[in-house]
Amino acid sequence: MNLSRVPIPRFRRSPDAEGVPALVVAVAVAASFPRAQAAPAGLATFRIAIGIDPDTLDPAQTTTTTAANVLDYVVETLVALDQEGRTRPLLAESWTTSTDGRTLTLRLRRNVRFHDGTLLTAQAVKWNLDRVLDPKMRVPIRSPYLAISRVDAVDPYTVRITLKEPASYLVGALTWTTVGIVSPNSVGKFGNTYENIVHPIGTGPYVYGSRVRGERIVLQRWPRYWGRKPFYDTVIVQVVPEATSRESLLLAGQADMIILPPATDLPTLHQNPSVKVLLARADRTIFVAINTQRPPFDRKPVRQALNYAVNKNAIIRSILFGAADPLDAPMAPTLFGYCRIGAYPYDPSRAKRLLGEAGVVAGTEVELMTPTGRYLQDFPAAQAIGGYLREVGLRVSVRTTDWPTYLATITKPLRENQTQLHILGWAPAFLDAHQQMAQFWSTQWPPAGLATSFYRNPRVDELIEAAAREVNPDRRKAMYCEASKLIWEDAPWIFLWVQRFPIVHSARVTNISYLPNEKFYAVYAQPAQ
Amino acid sequence: MAGLLRYLVQRLVGLAVSLGLVALVVFLLLRTLPGDPARVIAGVFATEEDVRRIRSQLHLDRPLPVQFGLFALQLLRGDLGVSARTSEPVVREIASRFPATVKLAIASMLLAASVGIPLGVLAATRARSPLDLGISTFVLFGISMPVYWLGILLIFVFAVQLRWLPAAGADRPASLVLPAVTLALLSLALITRMTRSSMLEVLRQDYIRTARAKGLRPLHVLFRHGLQNAFLPVLTVLGLQFGELLGGAVLTETVFSWPGIGRLLVDSILARDYPVVQGIVLVFAALFALVNLLVDLLYGLVDPRVRMA
Repeated sequence: MNLSRVPIPRFRRSPDAEGVPALVVAVAVAASFPRAQAAPAGLATFRIAIGIDPDTLDPAQTTTTTAANVLDYVVETLVALDQEGRTRPLLAESWTTSTDGRTLTLRLRRNVRFHDGTLLTAQAVKWNLDRVLDPKMRVPIRSPYLAISRVDAVDPYTVRITLKEPASYLVGALTWTTVGIVSPNSVGKFGNTYENIVHPIGTGPYVYGSRVRGERIVLQRWPRYWGRKPFYDTVIVQVVPEATSRESLLLAGQADMIILPPATDLPTLHQNPSVKVLLARADRTIFVAINTQRPPFDRKPVRQALNYAVNKNAIIRSILFGAADPLDAPMAPTLFGYCRIGAYPYDPSRAKRLLGEAGVVAGTEVELMTPTGRYLQDFPAAQAIGGYLREVGLRVSVRTTDWPTYLATITKPLRENQTQLHILGWAPAFLDAHQQMAQFWSTQWPPAGLATSFYRNPRVDELIEAAAREVNPDRRKAMYCEASKLIWEDAPWIFLWVQRFPIVHSARVTNISYLPNEKFYAVYAQPAQ
Repeated sequence: MAGLLRYLVQRLVGLAVSLGLVALVVFLLLRTLPGDPARVIAGVFATEEDVRRIRSQLHLDRPLPVQFGLFALQLLRGDLGVSARTSEPVVREIASRFPATVKLAIASMLLAASVGIPLGVLAATRARSPLDLGISTFVLFGISMPVYWLGILLIFVFAVQLRWLPAAGADRPASLVLPAVTLALLSLALITRMTRSSMLEVLRQDYIRTARAKGLRPLHVLFRHGLQNAFLPVLTVLGLQFGELLGGAVLTETVFSWPGIGRLLVDSILARDYPVVQGIVLVFAALFALVNLLVDLLYGLVDPRVRMA
């Protein structure tokens, strides 16, 4: 595409008037369109297209990263993540953990105001954390905070969190949007209730403006923001479920940034000089969970054989178009507690030998299940994996269903669970090995959790529990490292890859980056010079 | 007039009974779908306790007859319940999407009728000419073209290449053009075909020959004597098509990210959001029935022979 033809979208009139054939019907309904939704003329607007309509704008009730990503413009957390996945101060200036690991004390930033003008205080923070812990509240991602026994406002700017037991992952957990801080005074206003916030009033760089369900959310810059002020006056987040349409919006100059373009178009987009592709490092591990309790997969060599049988690099290259990195540990490198373990190189003859030694006869029937459209290229990848497994002598059928059915099938208790192999993606909300280890912790077997490979190694269980209580970061890391080695050897998964998070933006804007948990970071986006 | 009133009352009572049956069927169908709504809503990180709590909030832990009883009582009070996914009243969820759906349906219908009927008349008057063949080919194309593909094609040409129209969204009048054209195509094709065949039938009638022999102007014969008599079957198609358009056009709404009710329905099914699915199906059923009632009443206006005793 010719670069000079790409208009600077933000300063240009919207393409609704000239050259458009005047359709009678369009004119007839023109009056019914809400004018207030359009950006004020002459002011700079940044337009983002996302794929799903946020199910909630209540931080405590968030379940999806996309909704959390939008909320992050408005609502801030006490602790934030940086691009490397490390924690950094946000609303809390600093924090200390007591030597016994049972108390976490946070010092709040001063003179921070909510969008309703009230001051951020320790009382407000206590109110928010108590709300997340309140059993009457629906909080889908509550488990990371269950170790908290009480929250106290020691003075207006000091919050003390007392724990039932040491929980070293808690500071990491405070980076997740569930514990985003909203103004307690906003309850009873703007349609908000204690149980359900619909109009979030936070402390972030943007103020929640308006919303058309299923279509857009409009955010306005907050002039009294305590930190560095963003460039754009208005941010419009458009909900565009179809990936091809998102791509078209960007190419037509009607969006400045999109997430998740069609994966198959990544090579073309890479070559298009009018856009920039960012394949963000992320935390979502994609794997084939092996039901380790059912023969023949209850034997370690058989599970290792599956790992040798699949050519991960070839699939990443030709089916995921490079938007992934092969796993070299049971977790993504962006997590605290990661250490590189190794690889199961593609070696079909070794796989065949291992299968033969274990007495798995050629033609053994295996079912591989996969969701469709939930992870990058999941169904095509599953077909390729099925192909590789057929090459080492298994008779593989690949089956897919809608997500609710899928979830119901794989989370049946072991007694009723008929699954053999199924594809799953696991993206820890906060970047700590503790959340990843839920996949390998025998307390998390369905229906309690989602450890759907029914893996149990007593030493791994021990290490996971000890690491959660350990206060010393180095010792903690060593424990996760040891557990990772055992897990890698035991092979409860076919270790596949860490999915990257594709972001595409117009070459006319710059300063767009990401956080390593499938979030874009475009608050400080600005026109490229 | 009294006859009409009694007819209306009969029809409305029938409508209420049908809606009751629809409520029961959709209730049962939803519960036979695999998948636990509480688990889907709670997400993959939820604790077992949280899942259990959501289940009891949604009354999913009660026996089916009790669940249906609660639902029916709610309905009688005119309450559709609260969305399991968003915690918002279902009525508000539907109301927030409804204007977009109606807007798109009306625009598509107007477009389809205003192009389809003249095309059909034209094809009928030039039957078996190259023009008729051209129109028939177009109709075939319109019926066979997948909405999805057509939508993406239109976006590519008019938004990406020519930059005349918005590629997606619903924030300005021009946003309506591409989705309306995409959605209208199928109805347009059906209306054209129905108009053509109905017109052909009428034009063979003796009274047309008489009218012509009387020396009436050809256009007058065509429209007053021809189209008016050929209009009944076309009206039926219009009514059915409009009912379907109101039912939401999931694919069109998805491709153009139009915030209509079809997308809400699919999202809600995929999230097993029982209250919203039930609410939408009931509203659709009511609308469809009402549109059909209206069409039946219009028959009487168009054709004096059709009168209910």
